[in-house]
Amino acid sequence: MKLRRTRLYVPGNNPHLVENVGIYGADCLILDLEDSVPLPQKFDARILVKYSLQNVDFGRSEKWVRINSLDTPFWEKDLREVLPYADVINLPKVESYEDLERVSGVMEEIEKENGIDERKIVPIIETLRGLVNARKIAEHPRVLGMAWGGEDLTAELGIPKKKALILEHVRAEIVIAAKAAGKMAFDTVYGAIHDLEGLYKYAQHARYMGFDGVGVLHPNQVEVVHRAFMPEEKEIEDARKIVEAAEQAMREGKGVITVNGRMVDKPVVERAKKILAFAEVE
Amino acid sequence: MVEAGTSEKGDVKVTIEPANEREIVIKSKLERIYGNAIRNTVEELTSGITAKIVVEDMGALDWVLRARMESALRKFRGEEQ
Repeated sequence: MKLRRTRLYVPGNNPHLVENVGIYGADCLILDLEDSVPLPQKFDARILVKYSLQNVDFGRSEKWVRINSLDTPFWEKDLREVLPYADVINLPKVESYEDLERVSGVMEEIEKENGIDERKIVPIIETLRGLVNARKIAEHPRVLGMAWGGEDLTAELGIPKKKALILEHVRAEIVIAAKAAGKMAFDTVYGAIHDLEGLYKYAQHARYMGFDGVGVLHPNQVEVVHRAFMPEEKEIEDARKIVEAAEQAMREGKGVITVNGRMVDKPVVERAKKILAFAEVE
Repeated sequence: MVEAGTSEKGDVKVTIEPANEREIVIKSKLERIYGNAIRNTVEELTSGITAKIVVEDMGALDWVLRARMESALRKFRGEEQ
């Protein structure tokens, strides 16, 4: 299982930050062409990101690019420049399945022109309309996982983001939409970059909500999140027993898996495998 | 005149302006060490272009210089941003 516990954002038009970002061990890097790039720099940024993807050693991190949203004149130019060199496209402000169809069509063209494999999309749900359509969006074959952002959504409701109780519901809905479609779910960033204790609690909360990872804004946050996603010893021990029992049942051709005399269902085995993946990666 | 890049650390700022003669100006704190390498890259990427090309280096790696040169040249050729 590919772990995506951390996705570290780096501004796409800052070569100094981009060239060093591979050393921090984040599971994914997001080279950002959207919010961190001022309008007059959009052109330069997409070219710089293209070159960085071809020249910088990003270590073991998966290479994502957050392109500009569909309501801008930039998203298609971004795609044409960077898609051949990126692993995943992070697409902001997705509101419908049709949004993904539009982007997917252009991606298909570029993939054919360049003779490259199909790239995946991680849509970011940021509006109420997007949230209402999240379950359908998650079903799109290009979707690797679902992410979300609360700024626009709370603005739509006229409430301050920090006090918005509805965000717990949004989190749950993102996880439900993603998981029901067999996709990953990604929680949003923890903005207080110096509060590492708060981040630890936040990331653990994300894990127990069912998320596969959280966004990070500063390299110092990477290790903390990885630690927060590390299962407890008891979880690991139980998971080992379950996976061993499942393997034994398979070897012996038994349809029923039992651990300590109790029957274990397939989803429980899957959970155990996931726990071991989180535990044994380091 | 077109411009690409910034004056931030690790970056390079490239400006290209129409001129009657080809001229390349390199400004770098590390000119003694990297001046020739920068000039070679700029010469290679701009051969055949009659313009004044000014490169202000802030310690950029070669791939950054190439990216900024591509931005500046595409703007100079009138590509829509």
